[in-house]
Amino acid sequence: MLRFAATRSLQLVPLLLVVSLIVFMIMHALPGDPVALMLQGAEGGVASPERLAELRAQLGLNDPLLLQYGRFVAHALEGDLGMSVRFHEPVTGLITDRFGSTLALAFSGLAVAIVLGVPLGALAATRRNSWIDVASMGLSYIGASMPVYWLALVLILAFSFGLGWFPPAGGGTWQSLVLPAVTLGVSASGLISRLVRSNLIEVFSEDYIRTGRSKGLSEGAILWGHALKNAMMPVVTVMGLQFGAMLAGTVVTETVFSRPGVGRLVVNAILWKDYPLVQGCVLFIAAVYLLVNLLVDVAYAALDPRIVP
Amino acid sequence: MTSLRRLFRRKVNVVALAVILGWVVLAVLASTIAPHDPTETVGRSRQPPSPLFWFGTDQLGRDIFSRVLQGARISLPLGVVTVIVGAIPGTLLGLFAGYFGGVVDTLISRFVDALLAFPSILLTLVVIAALGPSLRNVIIAVAVAMIPEYARLVRSSVLVIRGLAYVEAARALGASNLRIMFVEVLINASGPILVMSTLQVGQAILVGAGLSFLGLGPPPPTPEWGLMSAEGQEFLRRAWWMSTFPGLAILSLVIAFNLFGDGVKSVLDPKLGRGRG
Repeated sequence: MLRFAATRSLQLVPLLLVVSLIVFMIMHALPGDPVALMLQGAEGGVASPERLAELRAQLGLNDPLLLQYGRFVAHALEGDLGMSVRFHEPVTGLITDRFGSTLALAFSGLAVAIVLGVPLGALAATRRNSWIDVASMGLSYIGASMPVYWLALVLILAFSFGLGWFPPAGGGTWQSLVLPAVTLGVSASGLISRLVRSNLIEVFSEDYIRTGRSKGLSEGAILWGHALKNAMMPVVTVMGLQFGAMLAGTVVTETVFSRPGVGRLVVNAILWKDYPLVQGCVLFIAAVYLLVNLLVDVAYAALDPRIVP
Repeated sequence: MTSLRRLFRRKVNVVALAVILGWVVLAVLASTIAPHDPTETVGRSRQPPSPLFWFGTDQLGRDIFSRVLQGARISLPLGVVTVIVGAIPGTLLGLFAGYFGGVVDTLISRFVDALLAFPSILLTLVVIAALGPSLRNVIIAVAVAMIPEYARLVRSSVLVIRGLAYVEAARALGASNLRIMFVEVLINASGPILVMSTLQVGQAILVGAGLSFLGLGPPPPTPEWGLMSAEGQEFLRRAWWMSTFPGLAILSLVIAFNLFGDGVKSVLDPKLGRGRG
């Protein structure tokens, strides 16, 4: 078990290196002059050649790309992701200031997805081909086919402007977390309910369920005592992946609800042409995502010893 | 033929295809059937839906119904072009990795695994950041993020197909590697590629609209659905129709692609038909 956790953690290192190399190369090797764009974005107007050369030298952009990348990794290991062009502040600080809010949103989004998805999937599986089954499948299709920003706007219309229950924007209070969390959760709940349904249907055909039925257990006892527990194992993995996807999904949600967070920061950084900030945010989110998946894998192995090779 | 018949025996697949084709017709005829010019002020600003302006007017007094029709001319080609741009390099990578194996496979697979290891939206955002916001760059960025998914899918099909008897027969008959790859293997791997592409068109439309909503797509006054919703957010309280109708348009189109894609999938792979729903 410990060995599994250790090898799985070690795999993270090369993966992070390759991911950072890809991100770094895309940011630095694609056509377009980031320095010119950066100055345009940060200072307005067209920059003078002297100012361009100065900033290039300052950012070390005249060195070979691999050297630049090596320097970037060395600094990143010390927690230094460079300086934001717009804020003239370290990127790391800008991210850590906002990460708590993003984490809270992703966690509550996952909670909403589980609270909606698991019972819906279980209901659909126990009453196959009933109206509940059809309705929950329909809902999961709608959830998967709806733009996230649009769901957010519909929720704002109904619950902020219509009923006045929750604020349409901002952060800090628990009320302001509700609509963004529901927005994130609803789109993920469709996937979870589909998965719970198909796993449960599979489990229901197992021998031990038939044994349970034949010894006279109630359907409820079978569902809660036996079937659901076994059907949930694969769902746990997906929830881990979904949590990571939610971190990325905060990009849209935080922007619609004007919440301070890493997702909104990266969108703004792109609009501001603040390249070090974009790069830092993307790598940070990717690293957290990889870490979450590592934790899920290890937790899964702890729950089900058969997984460990 | 029997697969086609099975596909259309289910009513939901027929309806889904009808919705897609309906949108194609609307997109083609948009300029002819639109009641108003989609980029001109044709009425007072922010008028609610009425017989004159079916979906109301926006902050500049433009007809939202005409703009939604015009938006189909952006989102539909965006979805299809994105998938083509992403599917071709992805398929080639998967084909080479699966067919040749060995070092080629290791190199390509490690690269693909790394790209699949983190959420594709991040890759999309990085490409947009590097190229700058525009409609063309949205297509490139979303397509780039699709490449690893196609590569993985095609590689796994090719691994199975390359060991089959007819591939060996072709080789025994003296067919070149290129001929075997593109004629024997690729054609037989096309089923899953087709399924994935149908689903990805819907996905590309969704992601593209999302990026436009964030301001990372085409600039105003483009009648792009995501951008229209973003412009409407400012007036959401008093003019709900501005953001709502473009979103409904996307929902109807993407749900049709998802339903139809799943329909094609269950026909081509009967094993998937039942349990998954």
